[in-house]
Amino acid sequence: MSERAAKIPPAEEEQDDPITDSAAPDAAAETADSETTTDPVTTGAEAVVRALENAGVEYAFGVQGGAIMPVYDALYDSDIRHVTMAHEQGAAHAADAYGIVSGEPGVCLATSGPGATNLVTGIADADMDSDPMLALTGQVPTEFVGNDAFQETDTTGVTTPVTKDNTFASDSDHVGSDVSEAFALAREGRPGPTLVDLPKDVTNGETDREPDAPTVPDTYDVQERAESDLVAAAAERIENASRPVMLLGGGVIKGDATDACREFAIEHEIPVVTTMPGIGAFPEDHELSLEMAGMHGTGYANMAITHCDTLIGIGTRFDDRLTGGIETFAPDAEVIHVDIDPAEISKNIYADYPLVGDAETVVEQLAAAVDESPEATKWRAQCQQWQSDYSMAYDAPEDEPVRPEFVVEALDEATSDRAIVTTGVGQHQMWACQYWTYTEPRTWVSSHGLGTMGYGLPSAIGARLAADDEQEVVCIDGDGSFLMTLQGLSVAVREELDITVAVLNNEYIGMVRQWQDAFFDGRHSASDYGWMPEFDKLAEAFGAEGFRIDDYDDVADTIDAAIAYDGPSVIDVHIDPDANVYPMVPSGGDNGQFALTEEQL
Amino acid sequence: MKRGLEGPPPEERPTPAGRRNKQGIRIDPEVEATHEPRRTVISALVEHEPGVLSDVSGLFSRRQFNIESLTVGPTEDEDRARITIVVEEPDPGIDQVEKQLRKLVPVIAVRELEPDAMRRELALVKVAAADPAAVSAVADMYDATAVDSSPETATFEITGSRQKIEAAVETFSQFGIREISRTGTTALARGTDRTAAPEATAQPADEANHDETYQTADDD
Repeated sequence: MSERAAKIPPAEEEQDDPITDSAAPDAAAETADSETTTDPVTTGAEAVVRALENAGVEYAFGVQGGAIMPVYDALYDSDIRHVTMAHEQGAAHAADAYGIVSGEPGVCLATSGPGATNLVTGIADADMDSDPMLALTGQVPTEFVGNDAFQETDTTGVTTPVTKDNTFASDSDHVGSDVSEAFALAREGRPGPTLVDLPKDVTNGETDREPDAPTVPDTYDVQERAESDLVAAAAERIENASRPVMLLGGGVIKGDATDACREFAIEHEIPVVTTMPGIGAFPEDHELSLEMAGMHGTGYANMAITHCDTLIGIGTRFDDRLTGGIETFAPDAEVIHVDIDPAEISKNIYADYPLVGDAETVVEQLAAAVDESPEATKWRAQCQQWQSDYSMAYDAPEDEPVRPEFVVEALDEATSDRAIVTTGVGQHQMWACQYWTYTEPRTWVSSHGLGTMGYGLPSAIGARLAADDEQEVVCIDGDGSFLMTLQGLSVAVREELDITVAVLNNEYIGMVRQWQDAFFDGRHSASDYGWMPEFDKLAEAFGAEGFRIDDYDDVADTIDAAIAYDGPSVIDVHIDPDANVYPMVPSGGDNGQFALTEEQL
Repeated sequence: MKRGLEGPPPEERPTPAGRRNKQGIRIDPEVEATHEPRRTVISALVEHEPGVLSDVSGLFSRRQFNIESLTVGPTEDEDRARITIVVEEPDPGIDQVEKQLRKLVPVIAVRELEPDAMRRELALVKVAAADPAAVSAVADMYDATAVDSSPETATFEITGSRQKIEAAVETFSQFGIREISRTGTTALARGTDRTAAPEATAQPADEANHDETYQTADDD
């Protein structure tokens, strides 16, 4: 551990971040700007808001309530744009998505008790996916804590297992610095959600203490560079590889290592596979791309992973949905594992070459150390052969219900390369992975590790505010997922957010239905809705634009109209209810034995 | 109607020869590594602040680490506390324990102690005192100190290694043990070796992957 990354750039630099939104300048807030930044703080709540401002926060997502009122009162004078969400879960997902797209922690707020517990799903989601996020929760006054007071929950207790770190603010003089530190912790090293619990007496209390700059505590160390002898050994392994594969995970995108990884792969002609959170790390239209591996990954990616002799895993935690059964995961491969979190090294898959450090830094170290490209012409030809053997092409007979894959491809066609896709969880999410061609990082926003149905719409709201104006934001949702958080449409309409929701509607919890067909004798217990509201009309009732697709003939024009609509639009796409997701590796199965049909499971 | 995708079915595909074990380690038929659980002492220096103990104990239950005892107490620095944990895990599990502990923000330093580290536990043993002379003779054997006595009971304090305490308890059991309370193991490294000092975090994070031979810890 020769070098560490405790240093944080000054807050002013954050405001120059190119990936910030200019869609909605708030004229009223801007006029108040000069006063708020010069006035000294007078209360704990003002110190909280000042800490956010100093950190360069531009947006916050939340829901009001009793114990958080002092903070909201302080926000009233701030030029931070607050987006009032319909439900705290949505606030957490919106903040999470904001963090994914912008690279800076998204901020969400909620009151004590139910406000805080409603955030928990979104916090857990951010924790599983290592997304930078800061949650601020109100709490009952300190003297009531532990008395089961109205709307009291042990929020730090409840969130300890699902946060990177959390803090119970204990005095008004220090609360601003607590928030600064939590913000810094959320983004430094391996990112993750942090939480500060804010008792009402602490935020109401008087203080003139300005918050410290956002820095991590002394006890938090991050190793940026890998040990040079291990880098040299890994480089030699790469040079001598005959069947190399790069496996790019979400850490590549979070560590802004996309360019370094692309250069390395192309320079040495190494086939590239991504994990699901790694989608966008490598252009899927490149000849070296084998796309996503894992449970519903492509056949060619899974064949390459299974047969490689050298696996260069970068920013991945070898989740079970990626590896399938551990015994059969890349069983002939020596593993070079690059990760910023030492605890991920050899946690699930033994690392023959453990390279702890920042993804970009370590890949640059590797690039400098690898002198000769591996001789892998035959291997690359084999990978290409698998691409044709296990083509993702599907049948789409004109006279049958619309195939969901076709709809995803049509949405991709109708939008730019930098369009952002958000999803819920289930079959629609897998089709969105498989049939949209991703070429840019931070354009894929989904719930990977936690698998949270309902993530799609609120995350589209957060993504919209983080994205550039010319980036379209498309939420590919399922009917079950959409039904869980569609109250967020009220937010999208009120805030005039230009997003398009395409609901792939099969009136099933489709992934469960697919598993029931495969593993439970087709007994559709509690997976068959049998009936769904008319989402286009529901959208209209919210004030959004509603569309409906029933036939192939409707697809292209309807999608064009929905994308063109300047504001939130919803397309209720009635897809083939029997469509299934393939390839598929059953839980704990052998990646190389993926099924292409139900009979093969 | 046909559902699914085209392509060679699973049985027609090539399969690799190798395998991994449950711990994700490739199995080499010649030196097949089996990792048996072993008992060892992990010492953690932490910020002395509310919630640290629950963070640490929560981590152990959440990640299903097997712990035998966990003790906590203040140190020479009033801002810091030391947590001593006796775990029983295979080598990869012990590495995970150390790495996961290091990730907790209030944790300053973590290390696994050498097998020769000084380890002590204190027990209070309350026995029936029907035969005071015999009880006292056993107490002498284990350097136990009488803390309390009544017409019916005698309570002794025993300090020492886990084995010593277990032996004492077993010997006392002939008199009839009424109650026992034990502290769990606390430990320090020997001589100038620092138990868990701030600079100890600077050891390479990937040490776990270098082949090191661990000895199974023997109690004193």
